[in-house]
Amino acid sequence: MAHDDLRSFLDTLEKEGQLLRITEEVLPEPDLAAAANATGRIGENAPALYFDNVKGFTDARIAMNVHGSWANHALALGLPRNTPVKEQVEAFAARWDAFPVAPERREDAPWRQNSQEGAEVDLFSMLPLFRLNDGDGGFYLDKAAVVSRDPEDPENFGKQNVGTYRIQVIGSNRLAFQPVPMHDIAQHLRKAEEKGEDLPIAITLGNDPVITIVAGMPMAYDQSEYEMAGALRGAPAPIATAPLTGFDVPWGSEVVLEGVIESRKRQIEGPFGEFTGHYSGGRRMPVIRVDRVSYRTDPVFESLYLGMPWTEVDYLVGPNTCVPLLKQLRAEYPEVQAVNAMYTHGLMVIISTAKRYGGFAKAVGMRAMTTPHGLGYVSQVILVDEDVDPFNLPQVLWAMSAKVNPKDDVVIIPNLSVLELAPAAQPAGITSKMIIDATTPVAPDVRGNFSTPAKDLPETKEWTAKLQQLIAGRQ
Amino acid sequence: MTDDLTICPRCAFKTIDKLATSPVPGVWDVLQCRQCLYTWRTIEPARRTQRDAYPEQFKLTVADIENAIEVPAVPPLRNVG
Repeated sequence: MAHDDLRSFLDTLEKEGQLLRITEEVLPEPDLAAAANATGRIGENAPALYFDNVKGFTDARIAMNVHGSWANHALALGLPRNTPVKEQVEAFAARWDAFPVAPERREDAPWRQNSQEGAEVDLFSMLPLFRLNDGDGGFYLDKAAVVSRDPEDPENFGKQNVGTYRIQVIGSNRLAFQPVPMHDIAQHLRKAEEKGEDLPIAITLGNDPVITIVAGMPMAYDQSEYEMAGALRGAPAPIATAPLTGFDVPWGSEVVLEGVIESRKRQIEGPFGEFTGHYSGGRRMPVIRVDRVSYRTDPVFESLYLGMPWTEVDYLVGPNTCVPLLKQLRAEYPEVQAVNAMYTHGLMVIISTAKRYGGFAKAVGMRAMTTPHGLGYVSQVILVDEDVDPFNLPQVLWAMSAKVNPKDDVVIIPNLSVLELAPAAQPAGITSKMIIDATTPVAPDVRGNFSTPAKDLPETKEWTAKLQQLIAGRQ
Repeated sequence: MTDDLTICPRCAFKTIDKLATSPVPGVWDVLQCRQCLYTWRTIEPARRTQRDAYPEQFKLTVADIENAIEVPAVPPLRNVG
């Protein structure tokens, strides 16, 4: 059953044994971040964390690691908690085909219960803000869904963007945030700034679990995240109209901030410990003035720890990065079997593909680099044969060790685009990119001695399913 | 506010603002450097709040702040209409 808000999903997590309530008093720093950091070190089915006894606060309610395990990711999609990763990605890809599913507009959004406006806006009075990593420049909103519209086509529902960006709180009503040039909101901002205009913006905190997944998903510029959320939920996404901007925002959010990105202004922001496992910044970033806040009574503040992988963000953006690349590649190359883009939001991608003719796999690798997401991310591609599971890293490393002749199978292309955050880029935003072709050469590319491979026995598939059932039945 | 609560741990600037104070009185304040915008809570560990304990790799100079790259760059104004 689809969850319409964060609270109902927290209830589900609790019923499934995937929510841990921390009742002892904790320090806002470093305890909150350290506990969430620890979830990434205790196994891949770690629970979400809920804190409501934080030193110095009277009514803080903080949820972390909500998407931070394969069990939680499965439950977010309404799948059984023990669904294997490959099956989660396949279910995600299958539901994609229902896109677009029109959202359902509702007028009774619970965040209409309370508001602050103009000079009375004080984010610190409403949110239990805290720091994540030692070197962070300040306190961040890092799990919001940020809504903006194309200033040249504001009525186009598909071009209205819902995205996740890092946002530093730099004042009681001021934020700094990071739109890298490849992101949709950067296109919106450029169009507004070219005209010298502010860009209206709505920032929603504490969203239902599928809105968070689509907000972090590299969709095409004119595809609606709300229509994709409907496809993934199997039910229309509930939305409501934000009172100041008139934007479409999730019905079930805990908090809705509205305001503008101030035109042509940049201010120091960061550093911030990023999904790359490195800090990025400080850089001069756009700034936001918050003019109105709407919020549920007793709002739950949701935050996400990220740092050296794996952390919550890797579970959150792993499958949702695999699927767009899979769909975009398959549109032209139906030979593509599966795409594993789960490492650092797709900076490295593993693709399994059948081959039409010699050299074909390298072409698939080059196409991955020129997809919309690939322009800013995909800097290393490993191609494997159609019978290699790209999610099975021992199989992938077997293919690399056995199939790669480095002189012929490693291709390096200099000076291509990548997001500025990529730690290895030089200068920031520019990198070389590499293809490793670990597929078996096919004619007319006749190389190596691959004529007698050892294959799984014909009965192995059946026995795999049988053993999995027996093991599941024992638990 | 320009009281001498401390100096910025990150850039050593001396003008510090108070952004927030704890809902439970007297437990902590949230401070911010007016120059580099570094923000910290007074009860955080010394490595985040004290200039002499602050890690060298995160310290900023005025030149670092002024020369930081813009992301994204401000585009040229375009004549419209």
